[in-house]
Amino acid sequence: MKLMSILDHVASAPAAAAPRRALFQQLGRAAVAALPLGLGAALPAAAETKDTSLDALTQLLLLERLVSAFYTRALANTSLIPAAQVPDFQRILRHQTQHVALFTQALQDSGAIMPAMPTFDFSGQRNVPGNPVLFPNVLTAYDDFLALAQQLEDLSARLYRSQVFNISYDPKLYKAALSIVAVEAEHSAHVRTLRRNRGVAVKSWPSATDAAIARPAAAQVLATAATGGEDNLAQEQQAGVLVPFASLLSVLRLTFVSDPSVAEAFDEPVSTAVAQAALSLFY
Amino acid sequence: MSDNLQPRGSDDATFAQPLYTPIKRRSFFMYAGATAGASALVLAGCSKDSDPVKPNLPTGNSTTADGSISLGSGDVGVLNYAYALEQLEADFYSKVAALSNGASLLGATEFAYFQQVAKHEAIHRDFFKAALTRDAAGQVLRNLTPKYPAGTFDSKTTILATAKAFEDLGVAAYNGAGKLIKTPAYLVIAGQIVSVEARHAAYIRDLITPGSFAADDQVAAASGLDMAMTPKEVLNTAQNFITEKLSGDSIGVNA
Repeated sequence: MKLMSILDHVASAPAAAAPRRALFQQLGRAAVAALPLGLGAALPAAAETKDTSLDALTQLLLLERLVSAFYTRALANTSLIPAAQVPDFQRILRHQTQHVALFTQALQDSGAIMPAMPTFDFSGQRNVPGNPVLFPNVLTAYDDFLALAQQLEDLSARLYRSQVFNISYDPKLYKAALSIVAVEAEHSAHVRTLRRNRGVAVKSWPSATDAAIARPAAAQVLATAATGGEDNLAQEQQAGVLVPFASLLSVLRLTFVSDPSVAEAFDEPVSTAVAQAALSLFY
Repeated sequence: MSDNLQPRGSDDATFAQPLYTPIKRRSFFMYAGATAGASALVLAGCSKDSDPVKPNLPTGNSTTADGSISLGSGDVGVLNYAYALEQLEADFYSKVAALSNGASLLGATEFAYFQQVAKHEAIHRDFFKAALTRDAAGQVLRNLTPKYPAGTFDSKTTILATAKAFEDLGVAAYNGAGKLIKTPAYLVIAGQIVSVEARHAAYIRDLITPGSFAADDQVAAASGLDMAMTPKEVLNTAQNFITEKLSGDSIGVNA
């Protein structure tokens, strides 16, 4: 929940008041000040990201390739997904495949070297048989499959939310990426609903009351990337100074500020570094 | 700026067109670096500081010549636009949440969920009011008076249908408004809220028809992209539920 801190940055940004000449001189600094708002909510260190538009497209392509491969393999195991839900995951896979095509085309059109297709390994062993299995049964047991699907979809919505800023130079891609935030959130909500219908304590949106998905410590970065910080109400408006979020909203007739609803009402972004660490578990 | 924005349910053929444009090599390097991208946005947002010629754009909550209430211009317009929609959603869900027969009408589980959604929407509404009060005091849209067709709150069918209409509209509005926002911080917030609205939409859709969470009228079949609507399109629909006449003509327009 780093919302009000964002507004503080806006209020204090030199762009708001500085005349244009001074602005040009300050542009680098102002931009750096604005950047962590989009990318670094979870990790202050990410403020110094070196992300470029090429990095953004490459990472989003990796994400979509990974998720596409996951659903492709899951659907290939005809005893995994109940027949009634097969169309749901076929639909989700179709969307992810379209997103792969979108970023593949964008990279090709830009003349970039196309990243090699990784060999994905959804066990978490990273293609090394001796490594510990971090994600057991995700392609053989439906509940384990759904749990990983939920985390990947949550991560997807978050990563798009962060990366849109790095492709804002291209209106069509920018608009596409903005709308994919919602697509991934819809996928996630559906997977969460499916899990809830199977008795798991999980809402259609990330909530502090969601049952944690048990993983080995080495896989924890995935949970951090997918939902880390969703329950955090504390926000710093500047280093060490917390925004009185509760009192700020309570003056506006909001009487349930200690309610988990406040955290639920806003999804969070993820830093590209944390996202990459999570994605790297799978190849 | 109206490239390819289509009302929901319009011809899918539009979406069959490529949704990307070639990235020119040069622009890749010109904008190499997120800092450069962010700078461009900051710069765009403050060009008015040094521009002596300002078109006469309406301020938020002002009354236009035809008696409408203007949502204002620039980012204030976008915030008031979101605030108007969140006011409408919050009002609808608060009325559902207050139904004395809500649990029997909707089912106890679903009613509890609607009460949670009611809180989310109230928080969104209050958040935008707080943001506007803080960043654009004097331009905060007044409290609107929602109106509903007779019988809206009488049956599960009409409640779910209205909820779906509002959530779909809200998601499409945020999807379409993202590109109008100049201040990166506001875009962050919009992105944090749109996915919650999308989750609501998917939940409601699955209640109506299981598996319709991302049906083709929500995510275009040809592109895999969520529907987006312009403020004009959204307000045309929203206006049916709002007593006051709203004008969103200058949303996102900067002096």
